[in-house]
Amino acid sequence: MSDNPYNPAVRDCFSDPDHAGIVAGGVEAFFEDQGMRIRLSADVSEGVIRELRFLAWGCPHVIAATELFCRQFEGRHAAELEQFASDPIMQDLAVPVEKTGRILVLEDTVRSLRAAIKDQLSTTQE
Amino acid sequence: MSEDADPVYLDYAATTPLSPQVAKRMRDVQENAWYNPSSSHQGGRISAAVVALAAEQLAALLSVDPTSLIWTSGATEADNLAITGTARQREHRGKHLVTMRTEHKAVVDVFRTLEKQNFDVTWLDPDADGHLPIERLEAALRDDTQLVSIMHVNNETGAIQDVAAIGTACKKRDIVLHVDGAQATGKIPVDLTNLPVNLYSLTAHKFYGPKGVGALFVADGTRIDPLMFGGGQQRRLRPGTLPVDLIAGLGEAAAVAAVSMLEDLEKLSELKSRLLAGIQDIEGLNINGPVEGGFPGILNVGVDGVEGESLLLALEPLCVATGSACNSQSQEPSYVLRALGRSDLEAQSAVRFSLGRPTTPADIDIAITLYRRAVGKLRKLAPKAVVQ
Repeated sequence: MSDNPYNPAVRDCFSDPDHAGIVAGGVEAFFEDQGMRIRLSADVSEGVIRELRFLAWGCPHVIAATELFCRQFEGRHAAELEQFASDPIMQDLAVPVEKTGRILVLEDTVRSLRAAIKDQLSTTQE
Repeated sequence: MSEDADPVYLDYAATTPLSPQVAKRMRDVQENAWYNPSSSHQGGRISAAVVALAAEQLAALLSVDPTSLIWTSGATEADNLAITGTARQREHRGKHLVTMRTEHKAVVDVFRTLEKQNFDVTWLDPDADGHLPIERLEAALRDDTQLVSIMHVNNETGAIQDVAAIGTACKKRDIVLHVDGAQATGKIPVDLTNLPVNLYSLTAHKFYGPKGVGALFVADGTRIDPLMFGGGQQRRLRPGTLPVDLIAGLGEAAAVAAVSMLEDLEKLSELKSRLLAGIQDIEGLNINGPVEGGFPGILNVGVDGVEGESLLLALEPLCVATGSACNSQSQEPSYVLRALGRSDLEAQSAVRFSLGRPTTPADIDIAITLYRRAVGKLRKLAPKAVVQ
């Protein structure tokens, strides 16, 4: 019998991706690699991520990881994105080691989002 | 999505449940005819009679002589015995062998192994529907060609090959024809008396028999070398004590199929039409394999803009196959669909629905609902740039 490749956290995030969609007029980031594509959009005000949404094309682990990221960072200060690393999410979702590269696509997209938010903040401050 | 939901099984090309008659027959044999059929005492004779009856039942289904059947552990072993046994037997005449790129792994990997042993293998491409154009085969045949191996019904697409034409082309050149009949036996009429076929592989579990038993038909006058040694059973071609209960189950499954086949085919055709009617308006839907004329128990479809692994999870509790059914752990795109000209992305999003005797219209309606919902969900989730 083959092992079940998806733990309950993957199933929950994949089947009920509450954060699927786009924040109209929000800060955007898109990254594509390894055949995976992720788009993040955020509404940031007073340095806080008020709303975080995603679109993703990829395997269930990529979709679940992106949803989980949104659940974890919505409502937090944008500066906390600096702390984001994919390892804890990979552990929570029991992502197979051969899919590490795919989850790093999320890390790269978050990095792009972080940069975009910084740009927005600096523009606002000017 | 819950793992607790009752599965809706539409993967009958992967395996089938035991028919009730088969299960009853096997229990009876396990309790009353468990002896070694090679033994000459009374118990052995009881078991030998069980094996003889099973051979008659299978022979009747295939229209062959019961003595032409060799019991194996399944179609994989039968394919190995037929292909390697023929290659070795006729090696002194020539080392050219012919097969198709769309064969099952049980055939493909045997030819790959023979290539490493300096046999020269020609891999034929199918047409867009999965059929082998006969002129393509004839162009590949050479003076030193010894064996052609072509599957009867393709396990991924349901394409049915013209075995009569292929056999005629082989026979006039004294080339041995092996046919992998794993997806055909017990499902479509197979009359080996009137088909120019030398070797025909089958397995019980694809037509409501037990797993672990199959057979190889060896036509009168066709010679193959054994792969195993250790006893004189089965004309020394496949030694080993026969699994009497499994063989009895195979025979009973053949007897049931002989009676129910036409009714099964009619029902499968209706169910396949119902399924196709329920999903064919989905934008970008492609049918992989023949639109008409294929085995009605298989419908393979793909859509744009959907990732295969996610599609499979989104379809739960529907049990279907994606990629290569017999190697579903692999995320590699199906080599069969690639041979049909599909791109990696198209092949990866393919889903094979395979219907069977227990399938009901309600199962089909659930499949339609789940497939439409899953495709819609994943397309909505995909960044626009991906939807082609």
